[in-house]
Amino acid sequence: MKLGLLIDLDTCVGCHACAIACKEWNASSKVNGALSDYQPFGAEPSGVWFNRVRHYEVGDYPASKTINFPLSCMHCADADCVTVCPTGASYRRADGIVLVDQDKCMGCNLCAWACPYGARELDEVSGTMKKCTLCVDRIYDELLAPEDRQPACVLACPTRARLFGDFDDPESEVSRLAAERGGFGLLPELGYAPVNRYLPPRQPRPVLAEEDVRALLERGLASLASPVIRR
Amino acid sequence: MKPAFSLVFFTVSSGAGLGLLALAALVDLFAPGSLPAQALWRGALLGLALLAAGLTSSLLHLANPRNAWRSFARLRTSWLSREATAAGALFAVGAAYVLRVFGDGAGPVRVLLGLATCLLAWLVLVCTAMIYASLKPIRQWHTRWTPTNFLLLGHWSGAMLLAALACAYAPRAGAFFALATALGVAALAGKLAYWHAIGDAALAPTLERAIGVREGVHGPAPISVAHARLLDVGHSHGTFLTREFGFVLARRHAGALRVAVLALGFGLPLAWLVAGAARWQPAIAAAACCIIGLLVERWLFFAEARHTVRLYHGDPRT
Repeated sequence: MKLGLLIDLDTCVGCHACAIACKEWNASSKVNGALSDYQPFGAEPSGVWFNRVRHYEVGDYPASKTINFPLSCMHCADADCVTVCPTGASYRRADGIVLVDQDKCMGCNLCAWACPYGARELDEVSGTMKKCTLCVDRIYDELLAPEDRQPACVLACPTRARLFGDFDDPESEVSRLAAERGGFGLLPELGYAPVNRYLPPRQPRPVLAEEDVRALLERGLASLASPVIRR
Repeated sequence: MKPAFSLVFFTVSSGAGLGLLALAALVDLFAPGSLPAQALWRGALLGLALLAAGLTSSLLHLANPRNAWRSFARLRTSWLSREATAAGALFAVGAAYVLRVFGDGAGPVRVLLGLATCLLAWLVLVCTAMIYASLKPIRQWHTRWTPTNFLLLGHWSGAMLLAALACAYAPRAGAFFALATALGVAALAGKLAYWHAIGDAALAPTLERAIGVREGVHGPAPISVAHARLLDVGHSHGTFLTREFGFVLARRHAGALRVAVLALGFGLPLAWLVAGAARWQPAIAAAACCIIGLLVERWLFFAEARHTVRLYHGDPRT
């Protein structure tokens, strides 16, 4: 099994709901312990997050486009964050989920150094490394309704830009969509075999300059008016 | 990378100690008698002390040191685990070797202990270097010049300490000066080659590569060659990632610090080796100068390393 996320860069609107839902669920999760906040009500609030959304502009005006880019653990099949860990705290489960055993971690940061995606964050309060659990305490919880046994970020997404599934199963929704729409993994050249897939964004349509808009409007008005006048 | 002083001190101190241990054992093995026993055991003990000081400093880098005892668990894959284990073995073997030399014992036991001390010192040095060199997301570390530098610089600073010991105890210090000079020139060459290698940004990953826009978009004309830039980083006041990986070193500062490394770490000690007085006072000053230069060198090693995650924070390339 290779459980992971499929993220549609075409429909992600960058609302950060996934990141908030992740923080909310995992703050009270027993898998990693609390997600510490530093000065939550102070002048410079900061804290541990497993999922962060960044925003990029691609292409040059007028053919430019905003891409909202959620980034969390890729649950790499060949993860260096696991192999560099000296204590055995970092491990990968048979279902593909990469986790940190909070009881074994000594907070050396080496796994965070080995991760190119910035998926691991040290909790300064507990002194241990924390990361996305793929909501392992939701997806197997039989007390939840079957449709709720998904990561919190997936359930929270208002545009359904996030899907959860098994990438080892070619018939799964995530595998089919990734195959149909050219889903790609990030930085495959590092050889970590990331499992999460991103669906590429749509081609940007050129943004019109003001004079083009005016010309279009005039032409549009003329074309609207001409059938009336000619009648 | 944030230059954590605990790690800067650790790698320089243990590097000098390991170089000194290896060289002292080699001198004992291949040129017995050229260094009196009282210099030899003092040198080996100083090497162990420098290693112990470095390892203690490295513990300060841990956010949760009470789990440090677990770091022997992943010998099969983790260079940090290998380093911890090899260092532990070196303490046992090195201490036995110091006692053997102190007691002026001779024979095969001393030879075996000396050989094991030398090999273990090399092993620890290689493991330390490979912790950094094995990290693929850090282009400036993931190069063969990293272990080359750690080995050469450890032996260079160790040779300076050995030269100081020779000035104080040995009847003739000339051979030790020649050894240190050769190692110093080699280490300098290695450092210059490292700086040359990391200066080549041709293969550096780019922001476009990191967010995969070069994988294409769907629609009529691909923007596969599109230029990308950060609009918003999504957080307001810094994160673990910006604190750990966001360190920026101004280029002019990097230049000045490189000059300081060349002058303190190599120039002045080499000048003393070639032209200085072979007395122990200037010898200790020259060794200290070398180690201060290497502290600056190691600080730069961290400060100039640019982690791939910086691309997601808006750096156009690493």
